[in-house]
Amino acid sequence: MGKIKNVFSTIGLTFVKGDWMTKVSYIIMGFGPLIRGYVLRGVAFLLMEIFFIVYMVKMGGFYLSKLPTLGTEETHMDPATFVTVYGDNSFMILLFGILSIMVIVAFVVVWYGNIKENKAEEERKAAGKPVPTLKEEVNRIIEDKFHVTLLSLPTLGIFVFMVLPIIFMICVAFTNYDYNHQPPTHLFSWVGLENFGKLFSFGGKGFGHTFVSVLIWTLVWAFFATFLNYFLGMGLAILINRKGVKFKKVWRTIFVMTIAIPQFVSLLYVSKLFAADGLINSYLLKWGWISQALPFWTDPTWARVTIILINLWIGIPYLMLITTGILMNIPEDLYESARIDGANGFQMFRYITLPYMLFVTGPYLLTQFTGNINNFNVIYLLSQGKPKTMDLTGGAGGTDLLVTWLYSLTVNDSNYSMAAVLGIMVFVVIAIISLVVYNMLPSVKDEGGFQ
Amino acid sequence: MANVKEKKLHKQHTKLKNGISYVVLILLSLIWLCPFVMIVLQSFRSYKTELGGMVDYLIPKQFSLDSYAYLFSPDCKFFKWYLNTFIIAFFVAIGQTCMVLMVSFALSRSRFKGRDLWMRICLILGMFPGFLTMICLYFLLKNFGLTQAGAVPGLILVGIASSGMGYYVCKGFFDTIPMTLDEAARIDGASRARIFFTMIVPLSKPIIIYTALTAFMAPWCDYIFASYISFGYTDSYNVAVALYNWVYTADYQGFFTRFCAGGVLVAVPVTVLFMALQKYYVEGVTGGAVKG
Amino acid sequence: MKRKALSIMLACTMAATLAVGCGSSTSTDSSSSSTDSSSASTETAEAADTAANTADSTEAPADFDYGSGNITLWVADNVVDFTKAQAEQFIADKGVDYTITVEPVGEGSAAGNMITDVEGGADLYGFAQDQTSRLVSAGALQPLTGTGFDTWVSDNNDTGAVGAATVGGTVYAFPMTSDNGYFLYYDSSVVTDPSTLEGIVEQCEAAGKNFYFQIDSGWYNTAFFFGTGCTLEYATDDDGNFTGATIDYASDKGVIALQEMIELASSSSYQSGSAIDSATNIGAIVDGTWDAEAAKSVFGDNYACAKLPTFTGTDGNTYQLSGFGGFKLLGVKPQTEGGKLRLCLELAQYLTNAEVQLARFNEVGWGPSNIEAQQDPGVVSDIALAALAQQLAFTIPQGQYPGDYWTLSEAMGGDIISGNIASDADSCMSYLENFQSQCEALVQ
Repeated sequence: MGKIKNVFSTIGLTFVKGDWMTKVSYIIMGFGPLIRGYVLRGVAFLLMEIFFIVYMVKMGGFYLSKLPTLGTEETHMDPATFVTVYGDNSFMILLFGILSIMVIVAFVVVWYGNIKENKAEEERKAAGKPVPTLKEEVNRIIEDKFHVTLLSLPTLGIFVFMVLPIIFMICVAFTNYDYNHQPPTHLFSWVGLENFGKLFSFGGKGFGHTFVSVLIWTLVWAFFATFLNYFLGMGLAILINRKGVKFKKVWRTIFVMTIAIPQFVSLLYVSKLFAADGLINSYLLKWGWISQALPFWTDPTWARVTIILINLWIGIPYLMLITTGILMNIPEDLYESARIDGANGFQMFRYITLPYMLFVTGPYLLTQFTGNINNFNVIYLLSQGKPKTMDLTGGAGGTDLLVTWLYSLTVNDSNYSMAAVLGIMVFVVIAIISLVVYNMLPSVKDEGGFQ
Repeated sequence: MANVKEKKLHKQHTKLKNGISYVVLILLSLIWLCPFVMIVLQSFRSYKTELGGMVDYLIPKQFSLDSYAYLFSPDCKFFKWYLNTFIIAFFVAIGQTCMVLMVSFALSRSRFKGRDLWMRICLILGMFPGFLTMICLYFLLKNFGLTQAGAVPGLILVGIASSGMGYYVCKGFFDTIPMTLDEAARIDGASRARIFFTMIVPLSKPIIIYTALTAFMAPWCDYIFASYISFGYTDSYNVAVALYNWVYTADYQGFFTRFCAGGVLVAVPVTVLFMALQKYYVEGVTGGAVKG
Repeated sequence: MKRKALSIMLACTMAATLAVGCGSSTSTDSSSSSTDSSSASTETAEAADTAANTADSTEAPADFDYGSGNITLWVADNVVDFTKAQAEQFIADKGVDYTITVEPVGEGSAAGNMITDVEGGADLYGFAQDQTSRLVSAGALQPLTGTGFDTWVSDNNDTGAVGAATVGGTVYAFPMTSDNGYFLYYDSSVVTDPSTLEGIVEQCEAAGKNFYFQIDSGWYNTAFFFGTGCTLEYATDDDGNFTGATIDYASDKGVIALQEMIELASSSSYQSGSAIDSATNIGAIVDGTWDAEAAKSVFGDNYACAKLPTFTGTDGNTYQLSGFGGFKLLGVKPQTEGGKLRLCLELAQYLTNAEVQLARFNEVGWGPSNIEAQQDPGVVSDIALAALAQQLAFTIPQGQYPGDYWTLSEAMGGDIISGNIASDADSCMSYLENFQSQCEALVQ
């Protein structure tokens, strides 16, 4: 609150106390700096204002004015020529409406910067300091404000290609953008919280039951995909690190191959391998070990277990690499003293290795867990969410995670509004887990820990 | 005497343990290598005598290069797709490395207003599932003419634009370079920009290679987004889109062995590159894991 | 009534503009023209006669200005070269300043991509009829009403094909093939008698071969439901919205069909799938003509086709498997330029006329929908098409179904294959009741 007050008082006081150049700068940005000789800064401010005005006149104003309704003019066919006349495009209105709001916010910030610049220049003048030379200005860019220079391009990229789309999709969750309301042919409009109501309705057509069941499987999957990989990967690392084992590099290289080979090749192949008519079943049948194909992908429980197991094949090598490095960092004398106390291998693992590993890799495990909640590739390439069942609504299948379900909602059903709602739910789930777990992590609670 | 016996016993015990270790390792290696061997075997199956579909046996009755020959025949744009993917991967690797370095240096070496906010926003943004933004990005790019016919530059742009968010590993590495080095250099009159280019960058070779390597490898697997923005223009496909279509679209009969052959051709150079730079990769992932 | 009047009026105005020979005349506001139809129809009643005559002909006036540009086509991979050659021939004969781009985009992906971004889609594209209503509601199909092409379509194609191109009384596409139905391909060394389902399963089991029948698909599972006499129909309005449903799956007939599928799925020889390419160790497969070439090469000398078999239901009666008779269509994207629209329509007409359909059949074996082409001796004697023709006697022409129907059917198939449904009549009935109520709920 205090900050905001501060901003307003700066704006007000600068106007009242400032000279005429400063006052003109409130309308024509960069006017003050230009007159005072700060040419570079003046031109920059002026250009930004011109860009802003041109943008608002050419595009922004139009889209902003349509934003409350998301368009009123339907696309129609000219009855005389049978030619289609496109009307308002709700999608573009929403997208560029949001962009316009972002541009306005950015402009206000720049405008405030312009006022502060004027104030600072007046102060410099009062203090008798000279106008900086060009060399000094350049120096400022690569020296005092070097971080601004470095961050400007990445920040712009993140805002346009990350923040804008995310805000857009959050907004879509409050519209009826679906199969029956697809731009450019049809308009969509604001519907408030209706979609959230659908997600949490548990009868008939509601998504509630399916959402809960998919969410539970998502969490179960993330748990196994994280911890099973973690412990088995550590096990493999310990095995290769054993004193007696030779050719350590060769072993590691063999396992690391799976990281290098593109997943869409290896996983697609493995998925076919486990199919009811795939190689594994064919050979087992040929050898007479089974009389009926194993339902790797057709039975929900089998499919889930199969996916978790195949994911080990993907995940263990990563964990092996990571844990190898950390294992070597564990002080040898810890083991030495334990051995003197007569501890066996397991005890040493339980009381030295594991706590150390957990301490060091705690945050990593957390990011792995949240990463696995959003792990699209493995599920999509292996099972595509199948087997489908009538027990679940919205086209969800037995192995669908929230993200793969979200994907099939958009691609198969064009149900963008429900997908957006699901996306928000994924965010909420991850945010809650991250917040809760992060504060429980030993390395966060106790920074000194193992030192 | 007893001591010697005990030592011998101990030795036998370790030998047994080592033996078990080797058996386990060999078994696991077989499991890990199996799919690759299978893909390679399938890719050499003769198209003329055994067709290109799925079969229920592993070892081809007749080996041939039919599938590879098809990939480079005039009927197939495989080379074009391969080139597209390489171009995307190459430029994304360069662009992404620059972005990550810039962000990491700024966050690691400067303390400024809004730094925490900046990092927190990145953290929050990272919690949204990326697929959500796909359709939005598609229409955004379409406005610049960067879809379909222009999908290759479009994919490069998207690959680079928001990559500044992946600064964690690299910033963590920079944090380990002592600030005293910077300070000494500054006393000698070096500007921050100079410190960045002449000191930090050379010191960060492993992390730069790691960043570039992961960025380079990603486009080879990008199926979903690439197919989304290049649809309907085969000239803009990357290998993943094309090969995926061969397996999952009913129009392509008998393309399974060709898929395997294409997969092998994609995997070989990426694997070689990866193996050559493995050392840096390990350093990167380990560093990333420890720093969180 | 309102719609009809409107379409007559459209025909008149179209005729008028064509007569003037101009591509972009003054545009009348469509909202005003559709509000009051009765007055409009009386006003134009006189002109209707002449208009009808003109609209019947698909010829453009001699000096029609087509403009210039590029036309993009999406067709299945195996007809890309064929289509390109034909389309370029057409453009050359026509002498217009257009270039042709043909991209291999399969029927399934074409529909999906058109729906994602109509404006970025192809000008002409092939699709399977199950997507028609979806494409109409996404605004991806140019209605042919009033252009004269609709009468051409209904005069020259078999009734099923015309029905497939029609949504709520408006013709939206040009039928390309009439062969999008399924029948049985089998290995005659494995299956000697393809007349009963039980026999086929038994012989495949004995030989250790696979029998493929994709029952986790709303398209294939109707073979069972329609076979026992069930009904599944949706009514649509002109915009592709579903306005009513007639479904009786939750009945004794439905239960028999479901029980038969459960029994089939429990066989060790049973596999779900309908693509020869990704099937292994095939004894028999239920598939369509598009796989004829692949089937020939897989089965070799033992290549054989037959209509679908009969099966003995749990009630002891014998039922003939039925199914959908389907069609592939060529659609034109709504255009914003009159000249290009006209050319696209003419090109679509050309690519689906008798000669080209026949040429396509000779090239890749796609069965024609054009009545004239269907009489061709080559078509009549084709072994796969003969099996299909036999099967067609038992099939039901496929109408329009909501997208979620296919999703629901896939889910039902998933439950059958995973053994999620007990095979007793009561569980089947309650399952079907749920299925039916969800199908009915798809109507707005």
